[in-house]
Amino acid sequence: MPWRLLRYAMNPAHPDGRMFSRPEKLRNRYDVVIIGGGGHGLAAAYYLAREHGIRNVCVLEKGYIGGGNTGRNTTIIRSNYITPEGVRFYDESVRLWQDLSEDFDLNLFYATRGHYTLAHSDSAMRTMRLRAEINKHYGIASEVVDREILRRELPMMDLSGGGHAPVLGALYHAPGAIARHDAVAWGYARGADRRGVEIHQQTEVLGLAVRSGKIHAVQTSRGTIETDSVLCAVAGATPRILAMLGLTSPVCVHPLQAMVSEPVKPWLDPIVVSGSLHVYVSQSARGELVLGASLDPYELHSTRSTLDFAEGLSAHILDLFPFLSQIRIVRQWAGMADMTPDFSPIMGKTPIGGFYLDAGWGTWGFKATPVAGKTMAHTIATGREHPLAAGFSLERFRNFALTGEKGAAAVGH
Amino acid sequence: MTGERLPPVQGEWIDRETPVCFSFEGKPFSGFSGDTVSSALWASGQKILGRSFKYHRPRGIFSLANHDINAMMQSGGVPNIRADITQIRNGMELFPVNTWGGLSRDRARILDHLSAFLPVGFYYKAFYGKRLFPYWERLFRAMTGLGRVDFSQPRQFTAKEHDFCSIAVVGAGPSGLSAALSAADLGADVVLVDENGHPGGSGHYQRGGDDSQWRTTEALWAKVLAHPRIRTRADTCAAGYYADHWIPLVSGQKMTKLRAGAVIFAMGAFEQPAVFRNNDLPGIMLASAAQRLIYRYAVRPMRNAVVLCGNSDGYRAALDLLAHGIRIAAILDFREADGSGSSRRVQDLGVPVHFGKCIYEAMPTADGKGVAGVRVARFQGGQALAGSGLEEISCDGVAVSVGWAPAANLLYQAGARMLFSTTLQQFVPGAFPQGIFACGRLNGVYGYGDRLQDGASAGQQAAAFLGYGECGPRPRFLEAAGPSHPWPVVPHPSGKNFVDLDEDLQLRDYANAIQEGFDSPELLKRYTTNGMGPSQGKHSSMNALRILAHYTGRAPGETGTTTARPFFHPVPLAILAGRGFHPERHTPMHEEHVALDAVWMRTGEWLRPEYYRSAGLDRAAAIQAEVRSVRQNVGLIDVGTLGKLEVSGPGAAEFLERIYLPRYANLKTGMTRYAVMCDEAGTVLDDGVVARLSGDLFYFTTTSSGAAGLYRELVRLNTLWQLDCTLANLTGAHAAVNLAGPKSREVLGLLADVDLAPASFPYLGVRQGRVAGIPARILRVGFVGEWGYEIHVPSSMGTALWKALLQAGRAFGIRAFGVEAQRILRLEKGHLIVGQDTDGLTTPFEAGLDWAVRMDKPFFVGKRSLQILSRTPPRQRLAGFVLESPLPGAIPEESCLVVQDGSIAGRITSIACSAACGAWVGMAMVDRELAAAGTAIRIRLASGALVRARITALPFYDPGQSRQKEVPCD
Amino acid sequence: MKLMDCPIHGKRPISEFLYGGEIRESPDPDTCTDGAWADYVFSRNSVPGIKREWWCHVPSTTWFVAERDTGAGDVLKTYLYGSPAS
Repeated sequence: MPWRLLRYAMNPAHPDGRMFSRPEKLRNRYDVVIIGGGGHGLAAAYYLAREHGIRNVCVLEKGYIGGGNTGRNTTIIRSNYITPEGVRFYDESVRLWQDLSEDFDLNLFYATRGHYTLAHSDSAMRTMRLRAEINKHYGIASEVVDREILRRELPMMDLSGGGHAPVLGALYHAPGAIARHDAVAWGYARGADRRGVEIHQQTEVLGLAVRSGKIHAVQTSRGTIETDSVLCAVAGATPRILAMLGLTSPVCVHPLQAMVSEPVKPWLDPIVVSGSLHVYVSQSARGELVLGASLDPYELHSTRSTLDFAEGLSAHILDLFPFLSQIRIVRQWAGMADMTPDFSPIMGKTPIGGFYLDAGWGTWGFKATPVAGKTMAHTIATGREHPLAAGFSLERFRNFALTGEKGAAAVGH
Repeated sequence: MTGERLPPVQGEWIDRETPVCFSFEGKPFSGFSGDTVSSALWASGQKILGRSFKYHRPRGIFSLANHDINAMMQSGGVPNIRADITQIRNGMELFPVNTWGGLSRDRARILDHLSAFLPVGFYYKAFYGKRLFPYWERLFRAMTGLGRVDFSQPRQFTAKEHDFCSIAVVGAGPSGLSAALSAADLGADVVLVDENGHPGGSGHYQRGGDDSQWRTTEALWAKVLAHPRIRTRADTCAAGYYADHWIPLVSGQKMTKLRAGAVIFAMGAFEQPAVFRNNDLPGIMLASAAQRLIYRYAVRPMRNAVVLCGNSDGYRAALDLLAHGIRIAAILDFREADGSGSSRRVQDLGVPVHFGKCIYEAMPTADGKGVAGVRVARFQGGQALAGSGLEEISCDGVAVSVGWAPAANLLYQAGARMLFSTTLQQFVPGAFPQGIFACGRLNGVYGYGDRLQDGASAGQQAAAFLGYGECGPRPRFLEAAGPSHPWPVVPHPSGKNFVDLDEDLQLRDYANAIQEGFDSPELLKRYTTNGMGPSQGKHSSMNALRILAHYTGRAPGETGTTTARPFFHPVPLAILAGRGFHPERHTPMHEEHVALDAVWMRTGEWLRPEYYRSAGLDRAAAIQAEVRSVRQNVGLIDVGTLGKLEVSGPGAAEFLERIYLPRYANLKTGMTRYAVMCDEAGTVLDDGVVARLSGDLFYFTTTSSGAAGLYRELVRLNTLWQLDCTLANLTGAHAAVNLAGPKSREVLGLLADVDLAPASFPYLGVRQGRVAGIPARILRVGFVGEWGYEIHVPSSMGTALWKALLQAGRAFGIRAFGVEAQRILRLEKGHLIVGQDTDGLTTPFEAGLDWAVRMDKPFFVGKRSLQILSRTPPRQRLAGFVLESPLPGAIPEESCLVVQDGSIAGRITSIACSAACGAWVGMAMVDRELAAAGTAIRIRLASGALVRARITALPFYDPGQSRQKEVPCD
Repeated sequence: MKLMDCPIHGKRPISEFLYGGEIRESPDPDTCTDGAWADYVFSRNSVPGIKREWWCHVPSTTWFVAERDTGAGDVLKTYLYGSPAS
C-alpha cells in the first residue's frame, strides 16, 4: 500500500480540493482563447502555461471537460504509422505519454501492452512490412511477426479467422499502450488550472469576430471576450466553428462507434487489431473488453448507436476469439470523428490571423493528445509551425501535397 | 431443504413436482424447476450469494430483477451468470465469481477494513511511479474482473430472425397489457414483449396482501392470449431501440429484429435503494425483491422484518410479508405521515409504525454475514439525528421501499426528453419523438387503476398514429403522494452506506468527488464510476443525481441526467453475432483449379489460384515452372476476376474519353487500348483494357478488386452526365482466361473459327468468334510479355473453354499458371499493378504513366488536378531495378526501404527472381533524383543490412516487344 | 436500422445503400483558379444541416438523390437525379 494513501485514513475530512476550479465570470480579454475542453484543448492550455509562460488563457467548453472524443475513444496509444511525418509525430507523443502520470501526479493507468495489427492478405502483409520498415528507420519498435510467433504469443486466438479470414502474420508494436482516457483530461485541466488557466464549462461559442483579417473576439453564451489568438480544438464540431469564419476545410464528420463487455478476469494483455475483420480489442484494467471497428459510412452529426455495428463487430471478434461467445456486451456508444482525405490531421495556422486549428484527427486524436497540445502551444506562442507538425498544415490541400496515412488506416487504432 | 420455502402461493412460478439438483461452491443444493439460482439458494438458507467488487463484502439478494451484480456465478467455462434471473438446471456446478478462496473465507475481505485508505479515485492518486506501475497494474487487474473466460469454450452460432408489426409494446405489466389490448382492438397488429417468462410485471408480485389486482392482471393476460392480433414473446428482452423503430428482441437462443410502426414503452420502474450504513448486508433487500421471492418462488425473504418506507408502496409490501407469515418488527417511515389505506391496514394489524424515522445503520450478525438488527434515528431536515441511545430493533431482514426510477433506457435511446417532476420526485417523459409512446410507471403513473387507463390510452394513441381509429388527449393522473422519497439518504461518519452496489461506492465517495470538482452528472459518473458496472446505474443513477443536487445546492432537475445507451441488459456476443455472413466468390472454373491442386489466395472476396502444386516441386519451383511454361511454350490463367464492363450507345466513346486518361474516340473498331483512370485529385485509381467491338459498343476490363466499386462510380458519373449510353456489368456473366506463350497461337488455332494470322488479327486487336464452339471475345494482349489471347466467354461455358484449351494445348506442353507466376511475368515486362506498385496518393506522373495522360482532350476526370500537378516535377517515380551481384544472403522483400545518406528515399513495390533475365528484378517508388537508369541504390533488408541494386530501364524482358507482337519487317 | 426510401425500390434498410457524398457543383475547370479547384477537390461542407446527397441502392446500382438532415439523420426526400422533384 503506497504511503501517500495514508493521508486519507489519517484525515477525518477528505483532504483533496478541486482538481480544477469553476471560475464565476469570464474576463473581458485573454491572451489566448481555446475552444474545446477536450484532451487537445486542455493540453494546449497546459503547455502554453508551462512551457511558454502564457497563463492568461481560457478554455471554453460547451459541455463538460473531456466529454467529447476524449471520453469516448478506445484509449489506444501507438506510433506505428506509415508516413515519416506520422511516425515522428506519434513517437514524440508516446514519449510524452510515458511521463505524463508522473508529470501530473495523477495515475493515468498508462499501460504498455504491445499492439498486434493482424494481416489477412498478401497486400496487408506488404503494408505491415512497410510500416515496420519505416518505424524501424525512426527507431520505433515495430516488426512483422509470422503465424508461429502469433501462435506462441496469442495461443487462444483462432488463426483461421473463423475459417474465412486466415491470419498470415502481423505487425507487432511493443510500445502500444492503453490509458484511462478521462483522467488525461483531468490531469491536463488540473495542471493548466494550477498555472492560472481558466476553464469555463457549459460555455458555448456562438460566434467569432474578425477585424482586418485577424481574429478579434469570441462571442460565447456567457458574453464576449476579446483576444488575438484562438485555438479551435473541437473534434466533431470543427466545420461548425470554421463556418463562423467563412472558412472551409476537407474535414468531414462521421460517427465512430465502440462497445464494452462485462468485466472478466485478465486474459488478454496486448491490443489486437484486424483491418480486414474491422475489429480492435483490448482489455481494460477493470477487466472489460473494449471493442471498436471502422467508421460509420456516412456523414452524421449524432452520437446514436446502430445495431448493425454491434452485430458485425461481435461476429468478427468471435472469428478471432470464439470462446467469448457467452461474454456479454454491456454498452455501446459513439463519438464524432473529423475525417480528412489523407487521414492525417490539420494543424496550425489558417487564413485568418491568430486563428489556429487543431482538427482532422480522424480516429487517432486520443493518442496524439500530448504532442498535439505541445506543438499547438508552440505554434501559438512563437507564431511558427512546430517542425513535428509541419506536414499537417491546412495549406497542403491547396498544394496537392497530401500526407498519406491512408495505408495505415483501414481500421488503424 | 430447510425451511425458507413457503407453502404454495397463488401464481408461483415454480413447479413443485420437478425438483432440480445443483451444486454451489461444491456443496449440493436443490430447488424446483422454475427457481432461479438466487431463489433456490435463499430457499435453502444460503444467504451469502457473492462478494462485492471492491471491498469483497458479503452480498445476498438485492433486486431479484437482473441487477444483482454481486451475485454472479461461474459455471464451468461460462462466467458472469446472473444468479437472480438464471434458472437452475440439474447438474449445474456454480461458483461465485469474485472471491479469493470461497465465499466464507474470501481472503480479499481484508479490503473491507482498508477502505479508509481507498477513497474515491484512490487509484488515480498513487501507484504510478514508472518503475512500480507494471506491478501495481498486474495486481489491480488480478483484483478486478468478475468471472473467468475459458479458452476451450466453442464458438456458438445463433439464428437471427426478422419480425414486423404495427405496434410493439415493451413490458407486459398492467399498463402494457392494457395498451396491447386497446391497440389491437382498434385493428393494429401488436407484438407484446416481456423479459420475464411470466407476464404481469408488478401486477403479479405487488399485491398488498390482496390478490384482486393480480386476478385482474391475469384476466388481462388471458384476453391478450386470446386476441387474434396480439403476438406475445416472453423471456425476451428488448435490448435497445434503434432508428426507425427497430428493436432487437433477445431471448436465450436468438435475436429477433423487430421493425414496428410505433412503439409503446411500458417497462415500469426500477425500485431504488435507501442509502444507510451497512445497507448491503445479506437480508437487506428492495421490497420488490422480497415480493418477488414470495410470489414468484414462494420463498420467505426473511422471518423477522423491518420495513423501511419512503412511500406508500412500502406498506403494501408489508401487507405482502404479513400475508405470508412474516413478522414485522417495525415499519420505519422517512416521512412524517402516510395517508394510504395500506398504512392504516398495517397499523390495524398491530404492526408498530414509526414516522419520521430512518435506519441510522444496520447491525451485522456476529459473523458479519447477515443482519442482526437496525439502529433507528429520527430523520429530520434530510438527516438523521444521531446520538447516543438510539433505539435498536432486532430483525433478520430489511425490506426497503423508498422510491422508483423509470426504466427509461429505451426511451432515451428513442430520443424522448425526460423531465424531472417535483411532485413525483422522479423523471417523467417530456417530449416524445414520432411514433413513440409510454405508459404506466415509466410514464409517471403509479395507481393500479390509473395504469390500466394510461395503458389503454397509449394503445389508442399509438393505433391512431398508424391510422387505426381516433383518440382524444391522454388522461392526466394526480398522485396522492409522490412514489419516490426526495432524499432517502442517511449520512454516517463511518460510511459503508452504499449508493452503487456494483462498484461499492459509498455516500462519501460522491461528496468527495464533488469536492474535487466533479460536479456535473457525467463528470461525477466518470470519476466515481457510478453506473459503470454491469447494471449500468439501474439502482444507482437516481440516487447519484439526488446526491449531486444535494451537495451542490441544486434541484435534481437542474443537474441534468446521464444518457442511457444500449443495451438494456447485457447481450452475449454470440447472440449479437448470429451466424456471421462471409461472402466468398469463385470463378466458373473453380472446380478445375481444385482438380489441378491449386493453392488458394484471397483477393477481396475472390479465391484465386496462387499457384498449382506440382509433384516434387516446392512453392518457388512450382511457380518458376509455371513461368517457364509461359515463356517457352504456353500457359493458361483464369482471369475471370477482372471487372468486365460494357458501354454502348452513341455517347459510349465520349463516356470513355471522360473517365480514362488516354483517347478512345479515335480507337478503331476491332482494336484495344490500355486504359488508366484517376480520381478528381489526380490519383491513379484503376487500369485495364478498352476494346472497341463496334462504333457504339465498347467492352472494357478493370482490376479485380476495383470492379464492383468502379462500376458503381461509373454509373453515378453517367447519371450525372446523362450521356446517351448504357453501362452493363458483365463481371459475373463472363468467364475469362489468358492463353499466353509462344505456342498460344497454335493452340488457339486448333479451336478458334477466327483468322489468327497476324495480318488479320494484329497485336492489340479484338475479334468476336467461336472457340471450341463457344461464343467468345478474343483480345490480343501482352500483359505477360508473350504472344497471347485473353478469351472472354459466357460464364456458363467457362469450364468447357478451360478444358478445351488444356486439351488442345497438351501437345504443346501447356500448363495452368496462377497469380504468382503472372506477377513475375508482368514484372519482367515492367507492367505495374495498381494498388501494389501505386498507393492511395500516386499520380500518373509518379507511376511512369505520363504517356497515357492526354491533356489535349477537353475533359477527363482528374485533368484539372493533373494540370496543377504537372507544373512541378513529381517527388518520386516508379523505376525498375536489378539487384547487383554478388547476391546477398537474404533477398529484400516488397516494402523494404531504399535508403540514401541515411534517409528514406523510396520503397520496393515489387520484386521477383527472373529466370528470363537471370537476375532479381523489381520496381521501386524512389525519389525523383534516384530514378534515372544506371543509378546505384541501396535497399535495407528487414534485418537492417544494406543490399546494392541499380536502377534499370523498363521493361527488363524483351524491350523490343518482339515476342508479343509481329516484328515490323516480318 | 434506419430505412432509406429508394425511388425505385421503396423503403429498404440503410445497409443496402452506399453514401456517395454531397452533390456539389464543380467549378469550370477551364476557367477556375488552382485554389478554387483544390477547394472543390478536397474541401467539404460538413456543417450539420439539410444536404442534397448521392446515395446508391447497391444491389441494383440505382443512384438517386436524398435530401438528408445530417444533424438528426432524418431523410427528408429522395428522388432520381434530374427528375422533376429536384
